Amino acid sequence: MSLRVLNPNAEVLNKSAALHMNINAAKGLQDVLRTNLGPKGTIKMLVGGAGDIKLTKDGNTLLKEMQIQNPTAIMIARTAVAQDDTSGDGTTSTVLFIGELMKQSERCIEEGTHPRFLVDGFEVAKRATLEFLEKFKTPVVMGDEPDREMLKMVARTTLRTKLYEGLADQLTDIVLNAVLCVRQKDEPIDLFMVEIMHMRHKFDVDTHLIEGLVLDHGSRHPDMKRRAENCYILTANVSLEYEKSEINAGFFYSNAEQREKMVSAERRQVDERVKKIIELKNKVCSGTDKNFVVINQKGIDPPSLDLLARAGIIALRRAKRRNMERLVLACGGEAINSVDDLTEDCLGWAGLVYEHVLGEEKYTFVENVKNPHSCTILIKGPNDHTIAQIKDAVRDGLRSVKNTVEDEAVVLGAGAFEMAAKKHLMDNVKKTVKGRAQLGVAAFADALLVIPKTLAENSGLDTQDVIVALENEHDRGLVVGLNHHSGEPVDPQMEGIFDNYSVKRQIINSGPIIASQLLLVDEVIRAGRNMRKPT
Amino acid sequence: MREVVTVQVGGFANFVGSHFWNFQDELLGLADDPAADAAFRAAPLDMDALYRAGETLQGVSTYCPRLVSVGSRGSLGSLSSSGTSGLSSAAAQELKVPTWSGNVTRSVAKPHGRNLFLESLAEGEQKPSTGDGAGNDSQKSVEDKELVECLENGVNFWTDYTKVQYHPQSLYELNGSWTNFDKFDHYGTAREVVSEWSQMEEMNERLRFFVEECDHIQGIQFILDDSGGFSSVAAHYLENIADDYTNTPVLLYCVRDPVTHGPPRTQRESMTRSLHDAVSFSKLSSFCNLMVPIGLPSLSQSYFSPFLSIQDVKPFHSSAVSAAAIHSVTVPFRLQNAGPASNFAHSSGNIDIGELVHIISGQGWQNMVTALDVAMPAPSLTDGNGLWNIKSLHSLTPEISDEDEDPYSVESLVVHGVMLAGGQRASISQVKDSVCSAYEGRSTKPKFSHLSVSPCPLAIPLPFPSIFRSNIGRHGEILSNHSERTQLPKGSLDVESVPMAARLRSSNAILPFIERRSLSLQKLGVARGTLGSQALRDWGFGKEEIEDMSEHLSKMVRMFHPEDGLTSDSD
Ligand SMILES: Nc1ncnc2c1ncn2[C@@H]1O[C@H](COP(=O)(O)OP(=O)(O)OP(=O)(O)O)[C@@H](O)[C@H]1O
Ligand SMILES: [Mg+2]
Repeated sequence: MSLRVLNPNAEVLNKSAALHMNINAAKGLQDVLRTNLGPKGTIKMLVGGAGDIKLTKDGNTLLKEMQIQNPTAIMIARTAVAQDDTSGDGTTSTVLFIGELMKQSERCIEEGTHPRFLVDGFEVAKRATLEFLEKFKTPVVMGDEPDREMLKMVARTTLRTKLYEGLADQLTDIVLNAVLCVRQKDEPIDLFMVEIMHMRHKFDVDTHLIEGLVLDHGSRHPDMKRRAENCYILTANVSLEYEKSEINAGFFYSNAEQREKMVSAERRQVDERVKKIIELKNKVCSGTDKNFVVINQKGIDPPSLDLLARAGIIALRRAKRRNMERLVLACGGEAINSVDDLTEDCLGWAGLVYEHVLGEEKYTFVENVKNPHSCTILIKGPNDHTIAQIKDAVRDGLRSVKNTVEDEAVVLGAGAFEMAAKKHLMDNVKKTVKGRAQLGVAAFADALLVIPKTLAENSGLDTQDVIVALENEHDRGLVVGLNHHSGEPVDPQMEGIFDNYSVKRQIINSGPIIASQLLLVDEVIRAGRNMRKPT
Repeated sequence: MREVVTVQVGGFANFVGSHFWNFQDELLGLADDPAADAAFRAAPLDMDALYRAGETLQGVSTYCPRLVSVGSRGSLGSLSSSGTSGLSSAAAQELKVPTWSGNVTRSVAKPHGRNLFLESLAEGEQKPSTGDGAGNDSQKSVEDKELVECLENGVNFWTDYTKVQYHPQSLYELNGSWTNFDKFDHYGTAREVVSEWSQMEEMNERLRFFVEECDHIQGIQFILDDSGGFSSVAAHYLENIADDYTNTPVLLYCVRDPVTHGPPRTQRESMTRSLHDAVSFSKLSSFCNLMVPIGLPSLSQSYFSPFLSIQDVKPFHSSAVSAAAIHSVTVPFRLQNAGPASNFAHSSGNIDIGELVHIISGQGWQNMVTALDVAMPAPSLTDGNGLWNIKSLHSLTPEISDEDEDPYSVESLVVHGVMLAGGQRASISQVKDSVCSAYEGRSTKPKFSHLSVSPCPLAIPLPFPSIFRSNIGRHGEILSNHSERTQLPKGSLDVESVPMAARLRSSNAILPFIERRSLSLQKLGVARGTLGSQALRDWGFGKEEIEDMSEHLSKMVRMFHPEDGLTSDSD
């Protein structure tokens, strides 16, 4: 405090100290994530103090696993994770881009430029880049029959940044078919209708698409069939267990006999419900080879299970809520909340229902359904952390297909877009800006190159050589990215390397917003002070 | 038998739970031990109510608590979340990554060391409290002493003293990305955590796993550390439970570490705490069927028990008392069923959670917030004049009035393992008679009182803190001729079992507890433009929601004032 009185520049000093701290935090986070990027990035295995393992190749998971304390770093991490929440991808790129914007700014500031000019330049460059993206993007026509090849290339590009090629390619078709399965005309794609299930498997990794549903439980009666073909499916949310109803609250049995009476009255009501289900079963199944399966969200107690088993019905209880919706989309029929007006129309259909048992874990497969709009991706892996990492990758793959369908566009990857955008900014945009804001435009343009540079670096290539080679091609009017094997320029179109349009758009949008906030440090100065407290 | 599923949420709740399951584990061991007291060998408690039988992927049979425990990342200490002690760091270095052909970097945190107790458990050399083989007895007692000491001197995690094998689905660690769990001290701090959809979904799934197995679930008992952000986590969890298992009753124990009661340092902190208490009480009470606040500001200073010597700063100590009390409350849920064929000499007063809820909240004041009174240890029957001493019950519920003269009160009393003055175990009918006549002697009798009796006392496991005063005997009896006042507190090496009594009581004594919360919300939260209402907004509450919470609390207060229009159940 006394220092501040003595030194009239204290405020300014503080400001610049805070600014540098922001820059350092952004650079620090960038350093942690940079090795992640692209198909040649590094996968990270994090082992906790109790031996718990996390395996991750994506920025999103890594950021969430890191115990970040620094408020600036938290702010950047939040932005990047928000990026993942909305578009499902691009976390690593976001962090790298913000870090690079700060790095480029640092140089200018050291040379005496006021951050304000840089921020003004960022704003211009951002708008120009977004406009450029509109022209640069590759439109994808989504008619009745989507362009499978294009969707496949996008999914493959994403998956290959998360899993080795063989596994990625196996999953490419799976995620594509899964999204096309749940897609319904004129409706937004609901990825929740793709169930992701996992099973432990001795050694290797394996994934399947099941057109239909896999439930993580089985029937609870020894006499029920473990496998049945040609099944009617009744999706229900009806209590089939004896439970005290709310109305009887406050009622007290004065003696055991009265208690028994009440119990038996309740019991009868439950039995009635079960009987209605059995009646329907008999109506639709008798005299045929068809079977009948009840999948209930509520409980089914042993007496009810007994009745159902004796009638030859397979019954599952306590299905998860979301599976009610999925079952109807997979099998047809409707989810019923009462057994009062049961008709054949309520019923769905599955060609095959069978149980799979692994130790105490049971799985029920509901398969061979007609025209499903819900499906299951089944992941088998040797341990929890491997399964979890594949799950993350599957989610990324699903999102990339969904985004493409909804964006009706994709963007050339492998750094091609960033190279082209940089050139556009330097050649066409910079000169339209007056004064020192030009420096901001140039810093923004240079910062874009962090993507191809890092891709090159992670491939073990000489960054400078690669950038020079790419720039030469772009100067000749060829849109190229980098071949991560050789470092030579390649045409991403030919190689089928495509990124999501909405992901790119969001990176370009949010990067400079955060960088600007961090540069205009006035509001951040308090955070700057906090940061110096011992952690 | 009807199943109970247990849920534990938050730091102190898991400390309590750890003791609770140790008690159960001890009972399981004693039931199979030919050398054990007959009261244990008769297995009067049906453990299947709380436990589930299963098998591992390798086909090994297991018997594990039917439990979902939720804590913050890192709170499991040296136990991995799959319930086993995790991989060694050397093994982690060796692990292959089957999904990636490129570079791998490994970052291995310094492993949490296991304390002496866990080491000895792992080695399997130690079978706590089963005195097998006379030959190495002296050797063994030396070892036991070391183990007890190691726990007295350093418990950091609830897993440090747990001797129970948990199911791989049981332990869930919340990851608040950048939430600081060291400062998880009020309702608003959980905003980020509860907004993570996938984590809440995972908690629901874990619970569903255990519920689906139940043929006839009687209810869910939910132990919550409601002193901070976990209140909000629990409120969301409970809301989902109410949606998914509509008719399954939920019994909620809100437990607090005495340490969280320290004096507020600033006025702002004091306001935050009042608001937190009000908001979390309002939210939680609307999603459960019976609520039991447990946690005096101090157990060492209060008159709670003249026979215990508890260090408030050790959660290992204070949680043991709450756990013992909860154990007693759960006894009636698993007494072997008292149908016509039942053996009355064995136990009496079996009720399930649903019936308890109806008894307590369905009559009298229709109030669902109950005080918990405990006698630890419970005195012998012929203490004083042949009547059982009700005055030995002391409340673990804070902020209630001392008044115990409410003609509308409704209670459920559990007495287990009490003895006659001579040192033999009292029979069920002796206990019943004695308690009944004690009640007859009260000037104001409760409107309704339910009694459950079991001969089975609380079995004290080895990893139990040394909190008994030196005037407590091996079987929890009070040594009358005891004079050495200077002796050290006794622990599990000197005390094998303790007779217990516990009572859930819905009476107007709880009114001050509710009123305080209702008032705080009205004073601090509802008035616009105040610091308090600003805070509530920061916690994510809109104006309407605040008004609803406030109205909910006023309504709970009004239940106790039937003259203001609401009538209580009169019959
Ligand atoms: N075969 C390829 N050759 C060169 N570059 C590629 C190739 N496949 C993908 N890329 C590039 O890799 C980048 C994406 O890498 P990655 O998926 O690791 O990071 P991210 O999407 O930014 O973040 P995250 O996926 O971690 O949320 C994109 O710029 C993309 O164009
Ligand atoms: Mg990606």
